[in-house]
Amino acid sequence: MKIRTAFLIVSLSALLLGQAGAALVWEQKEADLHPALTDKTAVAHFKYKNTGDKPVKITSVHASCGCTTAALAKETVAPNESGEITATFTIGERSGVQNKTITVRTDDPTEPATILKLKATIPQLLQVAPMFVRWTANDELNPKTITVDVDPEYSVEKINVTSTDKSIKTEVAPVPDKKEFRITVKPTESGRPINASLKIEPVLKQEAHKSYYANVQIDSRAKMPAQ
Amino acid sequence: MRISLVRQLLLLLGLAFLPAIGQAVYYRNSISWAQPPVDSAPVSLAQTESWGGSVLWLDARPDEQFVRRHIPGALQLNEDRWDELLRAMLVQWSPTRKVVVYCSRESCHASHEVAERLRKEAGLTNVYVLQGGWEEWETAHR
Amino acid sequence: MKVAWPVIARRTLGFAAGAVFAYAGGLKLLDPVGFASDITNYQILPWAVAVRLAFYLPWLEMLCGLALIFHRLFDGALVLTGGLMLLFIGATISAKARGIDAACGCFGSASSGLSFTWHLLLDLGLLGILMALWFWPRPRPATA
Repeated sequence: MKIRTAFLIVSLSALLLGQAGAALVWEQKEADLHPALTDKTAVAHFKYKNTGDKPVKITSVHASCGCTTAALAKETVAPNESGEITATFTIGERSGVQNKTITVRTDDPTEPATILKLKATIPQLLQVAPMFVRWTANDELNPKTITVDVDPEYSVEKINVTSTDKSIKTEVAPVPDKKEFRITVKPTESGRPINASLKIEPVLKQEAHKSYYANVQIDSRAKMPAQ
Repeated sequence: MRISLVRQLLLLLGLAFLPAIGQAVYYRNSISWAQPPVDSAPVSLAQTESWGGSVLWLDARPDEQFVRRHIPGALQLNEDRWDELLRAMLVQWSPTRKVVVYCSRESCHASHEVAERLRKEAGLTNVYVLQGGWEEWETAHR
Repeated sequence: MKVAWPVIARRTLGFAAGAVFAYAGGLKLLDPVGFASDITNYQILPWAVAVRLAFYLPWLEMLCGLALIFHRLFDGALVLTGGLMLLFIGATISAKARGIDAACGCFGSASSGLSFTWHLLLDLGLLGILMALWFWPRPRPATA
């Protein structure tokens, strides 16, 4: 019994000791970002303070993906000194919830690595599904439908659809009582391979917006339906 | 009190079942029980080589890395310029081709994210992620 | 107080082996799907079996690890973990012999970079500790 207790105490205290000497204290280790529709980047600030009695050197700052860059204010942090790491997430044409991590390594043996988390929720004004419609060799060229859902937080009066290929006709119809549009895609030509893209532009009260795309592919062997 | 070895074994084997069943119930709807989730299939370089010319390589790395070097014949598809690159990629795509996405190394996520979007948004099947990424390919083709 | 060194040595070894198993089990039970695909990479079991095993094995490892750490059901845990290690070693060698480059999968995704040699050394080391614990003369049960 005595040995068991002693053993427990030793292992527990070993665990605790590992925590006690940590010198860099982070104000927050997680950032939850909500960029606006037209933002190109989302920026997070991670503030730290050296609460130990020795200087701590930050040896590396590494982001989990090339789309995130992390800038460091100062490399060596003196006791009692504060600073911050700025992480810039490039939105590009990403969508949905993005989770990225930034690993900060220091020469502090008690806490050699800290993982900072960056979560960015990228607004999606329009959800286009499917965003790729195709007619294969054995298909008849009957119309197909694309659904466009509007983010409930925005009001889109209408959408404009333009095709890069003239033979692809489109019709837009709003779905009554729903923040949704239906695009009917009608091929009017057969006998040649067609690759087209449909540009879907929302008409918004707010000025700034961006365009969305759907793609169309038609196999040259696909036939027009019999009249 | 001594518990016989056989009983100990049975006890451990049995006890492990309880949380396992709990976890399995928790996951019951989000897991494919009968078949591997083909879509998320990571694929080894050796496997892609056995597919030969039907592979459509997609480079998910940032532009500057693609410009420096890439797998011959690879198309670019990253999320920085998704709309434009996807359009170009779909022109080359056909249902018979196997799409293999890669990024820098084993630990990068870009290839998985691109593969996921191809499946979810474009509805493509036969989308794979190259294990080890560009690093693996480069080591093999030195 | 007389220090019972053999007892302490046994406890420490048991703790070390137990901790490795508990840690390995814990990491894997966070990602059952990943572990299932690691299992199928060995090309021994079909997915349907692997995915069920992926829910059970991590918990078994965790439980045996805890048993080794806290010295409850100790012999049972020794036999089970020893058996598992033999299975893992067999699978690793057979995969290598068939030219499959299987990620070890021992520590979930944290081990994806582990080479074959290290993987095998780690497995053998663990097996060594377990065997030592099994064959070393056991201290007589305390009559407290």
